[in-house]
Amino acid sequence: MRRRNSKPAAIALGLASLLCGANAGATEAPIPHGTIEIIAQNESIEPGRDFNLGLHFQLEKGWHIYWANPGDSGEPPRVEWKMPKGVTAEEIEWPTPHRLGTSAIVDYGYEDAVTLIVPMRTETILAAQQTAQIGVQVKVLVCREMCIPGKAQVSLTLPIKSQTAAPNSKTAALFAAARKSLPQHAPKDWKFSVDDTISSFVLSGNLGHQTTRAIFFPLNESQIDNAAPQDFAPTAAGFRLTLRKSQQLLKPIARLKGVLMLSDDRAYWIEVPVSKPGAGQSNSGANVPPKHLLEEGKTT
Amino acid sequence: MKRSILYPIMIALILCLAPLLIAAAKVGEAAPDFTATASNGQTVKLSANLGKYVVLEWHNNGCPYVGKQYNSGNMQRLQKQWTARGVVWLTILSSAPGKQGYVTASEENDYVAKMHAKPTAALLDPTGEIGHLYDAKTSPQMVVINPQGIVIYDGAIDDKPTTDLNDVPGATNYVNLALEQAMAGKKVETPATRPYGCSVKYAN
Repeated sequence: MRRRNSKPAAIALGLASLLCGANAGATEAPIPHGTIEIIAQNESIEPGRDFNLGLHFQLEKGWHIYWANPGDSGEPPRVEWKMPKGVTAEEIEWPTPHRLGTSAIVDYGYEDAVTLIVPMRTETILAAQQTAQIGVQVKVLVCREMCIPGKAQVSLTLPIKSQTAAPNSKTAALFAAARKSLPQHAPKDWKFSVDDTISSFVLSGNLGHQTTRAIFFPLNESQIDNAAPQDFAPTAAGFRLTLRKSQQLLKPIARLKGVLMLSDDRAYWIEVPVSKPGAGQSNSGANVPPKHLLEEGKTT
Repeated sequence: MKRSILYPIMIALILCLAPLLIAAAKVGEAAPDFTATASNGQTVKLSANLGKYVVLEWHNNGCPYVGKQYNSGNMQRLQKQWTARGVVWLTILSSAPGKQGYVTASEENDYVAKMHAKPTAALLDPTGEIGHLYDAKTSPQMVVINPQGIVIYDGAIDDKPTTDLNDVPGATNYVNLALEQAMAGKKVETPATRPYGCSVKYAN
């Protein structure tokens, strides 16, 4: 496969950084059929305080990139950070994905545009510096009918100041929209259970109210059949969702983890223990509302 | 009276058979039979190869994940290595006409010659019939069938789901593992994985 001019670009970037010093590196770079931009929520960094960066992908119409679990094909964007001492990146906060694809093959991802928020931790030793240059190399697969792998390097320089950082008004709208698209913690009083039948997992939810829709996005690969229709049945206080098992699933699983989307596009992280097939009694607390959800749920 | 006994039995029988009727290939079960035309004009029937190991390789020459395997020479190496040991290697082209990876017989023959590919045959599946029969999701998805006609592996070619040629040397190749373990009379330790790659370009 020919690399799309990445070498000349890398050389140009390298030269630019030599010539222009610390401020070098573009905040925006091309990817196949789109662009990627690194953005900061605040104008500056306060040593010892967490802050947020964002990776904003803008794609041509019809092209998409992938969620943490890409589904039947594709792969999620992979990031490699380059940062000064005293700054560390957390896991990407993945917005609720969309089901993409035809009847036989279903992927999970984002079309048009998406902002991935990445929380950053800082240490007080950062105070010894005036600025922090944060760079990231992103490998991303961009697909429509066909898939094109891309690689891009973006970076930004933020001043380090001892006072509380002011929000960046230019990026506020993007961060607000990105936050809104993140799945929430499921309310504590909601109860979930998963029954393991031979061919399916039956996810039941007691929400204390009715819902007209439930769609489940599995965080882990090869648990459910992505392309199979999810059989939704409303109940008096929630729903029952039958998820066909993946052909690749040959062993029982302990938990079903992922994003549950209900009516009005509201989405929630859930993590539900799976009851053993045939076992009537609970195995260490099925029906217990999920805990440590965001901590565990975000990583794959 | 007779009816009341027969009915549940019949229903039970139908329920037992139903998965067989709709199910695609599954590890541990019999590989669904098919007949296809190869790019060299020959007719290939899967069940005619009982007694031999068979590898099915889903292919799309425009897919960068397939490109990784062919441009690194890895796929050709596997084809050469295993066909030399009596394995039947069938490359399957399930792209629909007009979609990426669709080729005519002569285009496929040109590709095989140019890439020095060494499959036993390249099967043309423009209707996606074989692809759907095996529920093939991606190229390059790989299936390994034992001499008894049982699917012993279904999934990815290796454990590095990327398009990067540099990832080929360090990867664990699941097809090699399955064939080596099965031929040594051992249990295939990893019989199923998530097949990675480009989606198979079926007709809409």
